[in-house]
Parts: sequence; structure tokens; C-alpha cells
Amino acid sequence: MSNNGRKIKSDWNLIGTPMRKVEGLDKSTGRALYTDDLVFPGMLHGKILRSPHPHARIVSIDTSSAEALDGVHGVVTGQDMPTTYGIIPWTPDEYPLCVDRVRYVGDGVAAVAAVDEDTALRALELIEVEYEELPAFFDPFEALEADGSTPYVHEPKKADWNGNVTKKVHLEFGEVDELMDGSDAVVEGEYFFEGSTHTAIEPHCAIGLWQAGGGFQRQDGESSGKLTVWSATQVPHYLHRELARVLEVDQAHVRVLQPLVGGAFGGKSEPFDLEFCVAKLSMITGRPVKILYTREEVFYAHRGRHPFHMKYRTGATAAGKLTSVDAEIVLDGGAYASFGLVTTYYAGQLLCAPYEMPAYRFDSTRVYTNKPACGPKRGHGSVQPRFAFEVQIDKLSERLDLDPIEFRRLNFIGSNTRTINELRVTSNGFMECLESVERESAWKDRFRKLPFGCGLGVAGSTYITGTNYPIYPNDMPQSGVQMQVDRSGRVAVFSGASEIGQGCDSMVAYIAAEELGVPLDYVRVLRGDTDFTPVDLGAYSSRVTFMVGNAAIDAARKLRGMVQEAVAEEWDVKPGEVLLAGGLALWAPDTERQMHVKEAFNLAEAKFGTLGSTGSYNTPKDVHGEYRGATIGASPAYSFTAHVAEVEVDVETGIVDVKKIWVAHDCGRALNPVLVEGQMEGSAYMGFGEALMEEQVFKDAEHGRAGLHDAPSLLDYRIPTSLDTPELQSLIVESIDPEGPYGAKEAGEGPLHPSIPAIANAIYDAVGVRMDRLPFSPPNVWRALEAAREADTLRKPILNPGAGAPTSTPELVPGD
Amino acid sequence: MEDFAFHRPGSVAEAQETLRGTEDSKFMAGGQSLIPLMKLDMAAPGAVVSLTGIDELRGIEQQDGSLVIGAGMTHSEVAESDDVRNAISALAGLAGSIGDPQVRNRGTLGGSVAHADPAADYPAALVALGATVITDRREIAAEDFFQGMFETPLETDEVITSVRFPVPDSAGYSKFPNPASKYAIAGVMVARNGADVKVAVTGAGTGVFRATAFEEALAGDFSAGALDGASVSADGLVSDTDASAEYRAHLVGVMARRAVEACG
Repeated sequence: MSNNGRKIKSDWNLIGTPMRKVEGLDKSTGRALYTDDLVFPGMLHGKILRSPHPHARIVSIDTSSAEALDGVHGVVTGQDMPTTYGIIPWTPDEYPLCVDRVRYVGDGVAAVAAVDEDTALRALELIEVEYEELPAFFDPFEALEADGSTPYVHEPKKADWNGNVTKKVHLEFGEVDELMDGSDAVVEGEYFFEGSTHTAIEPHCAIGLWQAGGGFQRQDGESSGKLTVWSATQVPHYLHRELARVLEVDQAHVRVLQPLVGGAFGGKSEPFDLEFCVAKLSMITGRPVKILYTREEVFYAHRGRHPFHMKYRTGATAAGKLTSVDAEIVLDGGAYASFGLVTTYYAGQLLCAPYEMPAYRFDSTRVYTNKPACGPKRGHGSVQPRFAFEVQIDKLSERLDLDPIEFRRLNFIGSNTRTINELRVTSNGFMECLESVERESAWKDRFRKLPFGCGLGVAGSTYITGTNYPIYPNDMPQSGVQMQVDRSGRVAVFSGASEIGQGCDSMVAYIAAEELGVPLDYVRVLRGDTDFTPVDLGAYSSRVTFMVGNAAIDAARKLRGMVQEAVAEEWDVKPGEVLLAGGLALWAPDTERQMHVKEAFNLAEAKFGTLGSTGSYNTPKDVHGEYRGATIGASPAYSFTAHVAEVEVDVETGIVDVKKIWVAHDCGRALNPVLVEGQMEGSAYMGFGEALMEEQVFKDAEHGRAGLHDAPSLLDYRIPTSLDTPELQSLIVESIDPEGPYGAKEAGEGPLHPSIPAIANAIYDAVGVRMDRLPFSPPNVWRALEAAREADTLRKPILNPGAGAPTSTPELVPGD
Repeated sequence: MEDFAFHRPGSVAEAQETLRGTEDSKFMAGGQSLIPLMKLDMAAPGAVVSLTGIDELRGIEQQDGSLVIGAGMTHSEVAESDDVRNAISALAGLAGSIGDPQVRNRGTLGGSVAHADPAADYPAALVALGATVITDRREIAAEDFFQGMFETPLETDEVITSVRFPVPDSAGYSKFPNPASKYAIAGVMVARNGADVKVAVTGAGTGVFRATAFEEALAGDFSAGALDGASVSADGLVSDTDASAEYRAHLVGVMARRAVEACG
């Protein structure tokens, strides 16, 4: 079923064909409105005062001089919003503004609304905060050893606990030690995955508008206010709930609007201080208030990829079958929990495909440190262990003299199966992914055969297509869509989905056009307003196409049935014989018999009354193991990916030039192959940047202020530009998932995973040097090359297929 | 950014008159260093006197075995000049490697030289080629001109009018750029005139400097091989998140070999 990007013949008219994004022209011509483009009469501008200390008690805050400054209309501090929140209901550990303690350089302390940003900034300088500095934790291992003699980052939930631990997970499946001991080869390695941030083009921005009375008059005579917040968020529903709870406003009187979002990548998937501040400042001033983060503030808000310290032991038989995997992981979480409880599970739970593991154990601990909080970034919690594991497999393959692609084939888990941790796998196109990258990269002719300095590396991966369980427990649908058709032939889609650039407005439009037979430009997608769209939980965990797509199909088919029935009655034929396609209703046995969809809709409206429908999707809830944590990682479908990367290493400077990455991805079905390829390329690009460039460096006391982000700007924080980006070749694989919309699965996050280990493995093929720590920046690679020169191991590795496994007792291969 | 007055005089004399008559004022050429500093409030002059409207600062001429380039010539103009390409192609290549197209279209030779950024490319060229900085009132040899980080002997109201580059037998430039700004993390210019070889290093230290050991090795045998295993001491070199002093010292050796190879 692999089509490598070419259109395959299908039962659908639009689905599977290249189509424009519905908002593409507006974005490319500058007409599209983002939150910061919105301006309201009387609008004030807010700024947030941030902590200069990594860890300190707030002794006192004096805002009187700031309030007295001309042009200042309102000032708030933590005391004005003393309710904790957190995206995960079990770990609410942050306030909109710090109440009594700051926990990282950049933590919000007070906020000002003024006539313009300059005045607000001057007002911030007039706020006097007295701090009592506390010892800070920067190293997760030191934080783990803390004994409470100085304050932990957070108060421990129980007296004898270490308050620096967010979450510990220990899970074991199968006979890990026995199978490890009985393995013919065991590889042991230590890995470090550097943290990274999202670098969405649009900084966070929010506007709050409090309307006292709000036009409502209650029966008891009291009038309630109405709160409206526009925000560049990827989770309007959760923001809606948290705004209501923290600000003590009835949820029914809170409205969240989501203008177009200029990228998010996980960095806007929970509430942030600015959203609470604009709301509270509007309540105080009675005027709309806008806050736009500076790029520097985006780096402090962070919630980026956690740095992971990882140890892996991986065993295999002489024939190349995996036997046992044992992992120990420490996550450097930063100052707040964010999604960290989930990250701690994902660190282990998402590794159990596409390879069959007879036994698996992981021990994963998330630690608080006094740095910006880490959270979810594209490939949440699973990109880091995937790096380590795919390098482990490369090392094992070499130990066993097996081609690493062959090793992966030997261990393929298959489709319609369960993983060792009891996750249900349905469709699985991983073998075709491997074949595609093997063929297109001419792997067999070139692996281990390129000249010294040039190399190829392979890696594979899997990722969830949404999660079976929502963030807050409930039995309601995960996604809802409403549709109506009108007398002009148009279809209006009311979608709760979050358009963050990934194309979900387009996706529901394609589905509406496909199912109701209207031209694409007859579809209006109305989205991003909690007042009139049904709930979708948000743009995270690669859930949107699968869940919103299924809900849209559900809504559209209900309407289609009514239209077919009305037309069938008119023509005196069977409803099933009425087709809706290409702007027409057609009689299948003789398509010369046809009418415009507008007429068809009018017939249906005459027969049934005003035409509207709702559609919803909920996830399967009975497909996981019975152990604690078994639901985390459970997804209705899994995507699969394989990469081959080709590199050239400059052995004098340590520069790694990635020449090309072949990306094969099983997305179930490509509803629009252009958007799928965009996601595949964007993912590989992002992984490439993490592999080669990105580094989260914080100053230490000897070089400035301890805990201060060293590079909170896009000049100093390195991401690739288009000039740096290698050639990327996308190879779409379609396994047609039984439960996905038209068989679709995710494409937005999975294709990132193999980028990093594929490049690491390619560097090894090029020069025989293992890069077990990110990033593979020139100085880091040069140091590794120097060490190899000294050890006289700097040479092209040799593949000797058929040589067989070592017959002696397995020796441990040190990883670093 | 704080408010400031902006003047764009038409001659060097007028520019100096304006500067002297305006409190807290500064000359600005292409503005590629001053404007970013002003945006960060690290500089806040009350008045900016632009040098971009002055014809006498423009032009490229050949003079008795030298190339005289007007201080107001942009990096793009130097990079694309046939005169420069024919006489000292390494200099044209160096100018074309500065920053990005936007920077090259605004930034000027005189502005870069006057600013004396320790990671700028031009200082390496001036020192290796034995160039002379010509101002409205005197001539200063390049080696005397660059006195360390942002340090030059220029007086407040002194304007660089041009730079005179003697045309060498051959020259080559190679740099390891900062991936974002394209400033040199280590940049090496090598120039040969008969047996005389000059090697100037930028980006690695707190100012441009000559690698005399490299010069001696190359004077005996002008080939990349003569520098095999050669490196400079890491003492006093810059250490930052891009590169440690030790790595910079190593890169100076690599870039020097590549610069010799580039001499052709």
C-alpha cells in the first residue's frame, strides 16, 4: 500500500489529493489575523515583572509608585489571584503570578496595564520587590540528593518525601533480568538528550476583556460580568476551564477565542501567566488589556523538551532477536510540573513498538530544578528515549554483524497485536517504511561502503495518534463538530479544533466537501470560539485529524443521509443510489440524472426542516493493561516512521554536514499528501536542529547570574534556517487504519523521532565515533573525534555480515 | 529605543561640523552595529550623523600596485567589484562572507573598520595585507589601528575616508563562522608577497592578531602542509558558548591551512 507520495486510486474525490490550505492565501498575503493583530478601543498594554533570582522568598512587594505613574491603569500581584493551577489536574503547582516564592529567573511576580508598552515597562521598574534569596537547584542529580536542609523547589506532599521529585514511575514487564542474563549480546550505554524549546514564530499573546454586567441580568437582580479572552493557545477548552476556576467566574460567563496561531509545537498547550493577567487587569481597569510576550519571555515560559539523562541495557540473541530492555531515566523538569506527570510515563511507555520486546523495565524520575519549566514538545516524552534506544540498536547490530535495517526487520512487532506493556497496535506500516528508506537511499550499496568521513544511519520509531484518556477524567466525547447546510449550497462547519498551522481547518473542510459533494470553496469553517463551537480538547498528542476528522465524518454523514433521502424521494429511486459529488447530486445508475447540490439541499430542507447535525468521536476505553499507568500511552492508533540520514563529517573542525534525510512515515492515509509531506519535512527539520544545534545553557555564578538563560534570543539560541536545512525526501506510507478517518493516523509528531538517532548512527558510519550526547555541534563532535584519534579508533567501521554473534560471554560495551 | 535626532550631511566637512555642534552625537555608517545597540538601549546617542550621503567616501581605484576602497563602499559593492575580484579576490570573497545579504547591502568597509569588532572579518584582511587606514587627517597602518576590542586611535570627530590595500602576490581567507551572525569564531587571512608572509587571525581573540609562528613556517615553505599540526596557544583566546578557547586555538590552525590552500 506504500505509494511514496503518489496519488493512489481511491473511492474518494478529494481525499488523498493535493489541496490548498483553506487559510493559506490569507496567511501568505498578510490578511490573516493573529492575536496581536487585534486592537480594541481603549485597549491597554500589559507587561509582567519577572524574578531576577532562581529561587527566593518574596518578602514584600510595593506597587504604589508604579500605580502612581501617569498612564498606568492597573497593577496586579500574586495576591490578587492566589489559586494554583496546572494542566494536569493532579499537579496544580503554579500561580498566575508568584505569591510567596519565585522558582526560576523569569518567574512572573507582578503585572501592569498602561496606555502603552513603554509606560508599562517604566512602571515595572518602579515596583519594589524585596526578596530573600534561597539556595537553588540546577542539577537534577543534586536536587535528587537534597535532604530538606534548604527549601525544596516545591513543598513535599508528605513530610519525608523529597520535594524536588515531581513523579517517579517504575514499571516492569516480563523477565527482564533472566532474559538479559541469557542474552548472547548485551549493549550498555549512557545518553544525554539536551533540552530544547519550540521556537514558534508567533510569541504568546493574549487579550482580556471584562464586561461588568456583560449584558446579563440574573433573576436575583444581580448582574454577572462576562470575561472574554483571545489567546494564541493550542488548548482553548482547558484555558476556558482554568480561567473560570482561578478567577472565580462562572464557566458559562467565560468565552475563549483563538485567532490563528503562528505555530505552537506544544509550547502553547497549557495556560500561561499572561492569560490570567490580561483577564484580571481587565477586571480591574474595565478596559481591554493585551500582553504580548517578548521573545525573551517565550524562552522563560518554555515548557520545552525535557533534558533526559538515560541509561540503557539492551540484550539480543545471536540471531538478532531482542531479548530484554532495561532503562533508567532522570528528567530535568525545571520549576513546575506542567505535563511532567505524563512525560515521566511517556519516557518509558512509548518505546514498546515497532520492535517486539520480550521483557522491558523502566525507571523514570522527573526532578524539579530552578530553571524554566519543561513540558511537551513535538513528540512529547518519547523523542529522547527513542534517540538512546535506536543508537543502542545500532550498537547491537554491529556487535552481531547484522545490517541495522535487517535487525529492525527481524524484530518487527507486526500489526493487530499488543506491545509488552499491553498497548493495542492496529495498523502498522513500519516494514514498508523501512523498505522505502532502504530503497531510496540505495542503502545496500552504500552503508559502510562510503569513503571515510561519509556515512548513512537508520532509525525507526512509533508515536501515538491521540490519547485514549483525556487530561481530566470524563466520559464525554473527545471531539465534537456541528454542521449546517444552507439554501445557497454552502456548508458551515462549527469546529472546536485548534488551528495552529497544522491544517485542521482544511482537514474538516475537505471532509465536509467530500461527504456532501460541495466544492471546497462552499465550505466555511467557523472555529476558535468557545461560545459557539463544540468542545475539542486541543491540538496536542497528534489527536486532531483522527478525532476531529471522525467527528466531522459523523456529522457530515448524518446530513448526507437526509439529502440523499430527499433527492431519492424526488427521483423515486433508492437513497443509496444518490451520490453527492462535484457540486452535484447524481443518480448512480445513470449520472446524466443530476441536480445542483443547492437544489438537493433545498429539497432536504423542505422535507426535514432546517438542516443541521452534530458529530462526535470518543476513544476506545477498554484496550490497555490492568496495571497502574496502563492507560498512559494508550492510543486509538500508532504511526510509524523510518529515517535514513546521510552525513559528511569534517574531521578537522567537527562540522557535521547532513546531506539528506529520507523520511518514510506511515500516516494511515494521507488525506492531503501535501500537508502530510509538510509535517514530515517540518518534523525532520526540527529533529535535525535538535540533533546538531539546540542547546539550553544557563549561566553559573562564575559567569553572571546563576540560573539565567544564556541565550534567550533567536540570535544566540541556534535553530536551523532554510539555508542550513538538508535535502528532505518524504516517502508517504499508507497502512489504512481501521478506525481512522478514511484510514488516517497522525503525521505531525511521529516523523521527528528518528531524525536524531539516524544522524548519530550516520556519524558512526562516517568516522566510527559514537555521539551519545546531544547536540552534535562542532565543538562536541571535535572533542569526540580528538578522543578517537588518541584512542586510535578514528576509522570507517566494517560490516561483516554472516560473521555471527560473539560466542564468548557477553561483554558490556561502555556507551560513553 | 530612545528618541534621537538624525542628520544626513553631504560632505565629510559638514558631517564633522554637525557632530561638533551637536551634543551627545555619533557618526553612523551602515548602522549594522550601532542600530542593534540602540535597539537594546546599550547605546542612546542624542543625535546620529549619517555618513551614507557623502560621495567622497565612495569609489574603488587602482593606484600603483594598491587598491584604494572608499570607506562608504558596502560589503556587497566590494564583493561584487571586478576591480577587487581581479586584484585581491580573497578580499572580495571576505566581503561576500560577511553577515547576510541585508547586512552586506547596508554595512560598509569604513563602518566595520571604525567599529573594530574583534570578530569582524575586515580587520584580518587589513592586517594581513598590510593595509593603511586613511582618515580626513592622517594615514594609520592597520597594525597600529586595531588596538584591541573596539579600540582604535580614531578621534571622536575623525572620519575614515578610505583604506589602501597593497595588492599581494596571493592571499586567501578562511573562516569558521558563527552560524547565526556569520561573524568569525576563527577567521584567518594569509597574504604572501615574495618571501614575506603575513597571517592575521580574527574572531579567536579579543582583537585581530598575527600568528607569527605560522608566518615563519610559511615563509620557509608556503604550503598548507607547512602548518600540519600547528596551532596557536589557547591562552587569551575567547571562550563562549560557541567555542572554548581550546577549540578556537585548534580552529585557527585548520583555518590557516585552508586559507593557504585558498591562495592557489
